[in-house]
Amino acid sequence: MPISARHAIIACADGLAAVGAGLSVARDGAPHEPVLASAPEAEEMGELQFTLGQGPSMDAVAGRSPVLVPDLTRLDAQRRWPLFAAAAADRGVRGMFSFPVAAGAALIGVLDVYRLRAGPLAPHELANGLAFADAVLVLVLNDNDGIAATPDGMIAAIVSERRAEVHQATGMVAAQLGVSMTDALAALRAHAYAHSRRLSDLATDVLARRVRLGPGSAPPPAPPPPAPPPPAGGDLRHDGNGSPEPGQRRGEED
Amino acid sequence: MITDSRVRETFIELTDTLVKDFDVIDYLERLADRCTELLGVSACGILLVDHHGVLNLVGASTEQTRLLELSQLQNAEGPSLDAYHTGQPVQCADLADASEHWPRFAAAARAAGFASVQALPMRLREEQLGAVSLFSAEPGLLDADTIALGQALSDAATIGIVHQRALLAKEVVTEQLQTALNSRILIEQAKGFLAERFTVSVEDAFGMMRRYARDHQRKLTDVAADITAGRLGPGLGLADPPRSSGG
Repeated sequence: MPISARHAIIACADGLAAVGAGLSVARDGAPHEPVLASAPEAEEMGELQFTLGQGPSMDAVAGRSPVLVPDLTRLDAQRRWPLFAAAAADRGVRGMFSFPVAAGAALIGVLDVYRLRAGPLAPHELANGLAFADAVLVLVLNDNDGIAATPDGMIAAIVSERRAEVHQATGMVAAQLGVSMTDALAALRAHAYAHSRRLSDLATDVLARRVRLGPGSAPPPAPPPPAPPPPAGGDLRHDGNGSPEPGQRRGEED
Repeated sequence: MITDSRVRETFIELTDTLVKDFDVIDYLERLADRCTELLGVSACGILLVDHHGVLNLVGASTEQTRLLELSQLQNAEGPSLDAYHTGQPVQCADLADASEHWPRFAAAARAAGFASVQALPMRLREEQLGAVSLFSAEPGLLDADTIALGQALSDAATIGIVHQRALLAKEVVTEQLQTALNSRILIEQAKGFLAERFTVSVEDAFGMMRRYARDHQRKLTDVAADITAGRLGPGLGLADPPRSSGG
């Protein structure tokens, strides 16, 4: 069965003993709307941050680093996010952990994990939270490219996505296509998928200038098509609609 | 010959991590350069472990080392991995004797012109964070004093990454580590972008970025962020005369 980002978020909430977990997509560096939640509590908290315009999510995106808040009722948290911390406490949420869903400048959004009890994440929970954020990055890019994920494919994708040559090739593709790093990474992955190649092998060829993703593989710049029906098990809305950037759909050919 | 005053200068330079415009990747690149100079080795690479338990190269004195380190990571063998796993320095006086222990790494390192290698663990209290590897074109072991100096430089790298000398919570260390790893990704993306736009090698692209950051007294990571966001590049202040718009 294909895995979707929704599965990863539910598993993340479960694995981190959380009341819920949620994904918000970012545009222009600021968290935009919450798009996925494992539970009503997580959905409400996501909306709350979005409405108030403050919270650990925003800071995680701005600093491109996890923001780990063991206790939202502590003074440092209340000072940092006065409105959000108070509202969270009213709803009984004590711990909150925000992980950027990103690779360098390629930014999808932020994965938020909410707990009812105060206290830090255990080391293995912290490592799992970071790993879930990586999984969500791959799954969202997959969803947007119509790539079905299998467990084995996921693991390979997460590992290869972190190689230096993939990052360098992403930068080259961004320059070739004139798109954002997020769209360039999506284009590179779609090209690898369409040609049944390993991402790192394709990246090596791009760096050696043996493969070039030409304008033919770039999407038409505008207007974006109406939102397609969501793939089974996912309801992601991160598809470039309303975005100033061209949303990369599918890498056709070099 | 390396003088005591040069060592002292280096440590003063490397302990200056609490300044406002501190940039972790720039710091680690400088550290790699200083290790090469002060320890009398040919090249130096700095690796950090991520949450998947995978070592990532975050600083290197030459692009050649970078490539070598990558092969080391991909093959899941090599002195840095051993130093990281054991928490102990690893010394290999002659890579010609290492073909059983690290068959692929030893071959790649010799092909790159190196004859010996040493790796030093990077740790914070009980936790292993990564390793520093030192490559030499000549065979032979580094002497005990040089290893001790190398370990002190490696400890300085750890301090640079965690950025604070006070006792740190696990959360803070994780946040700092993630920042360092993500900065590295950002810089790799920016290198690729410039390499394409200027039709140069990724190494030359990196040189352009470092020069620009130095000339304009900006953080390397900020420069990379501007490049990847399309705010800085050909016609936008980099290499070309500054213009108000373009791109």
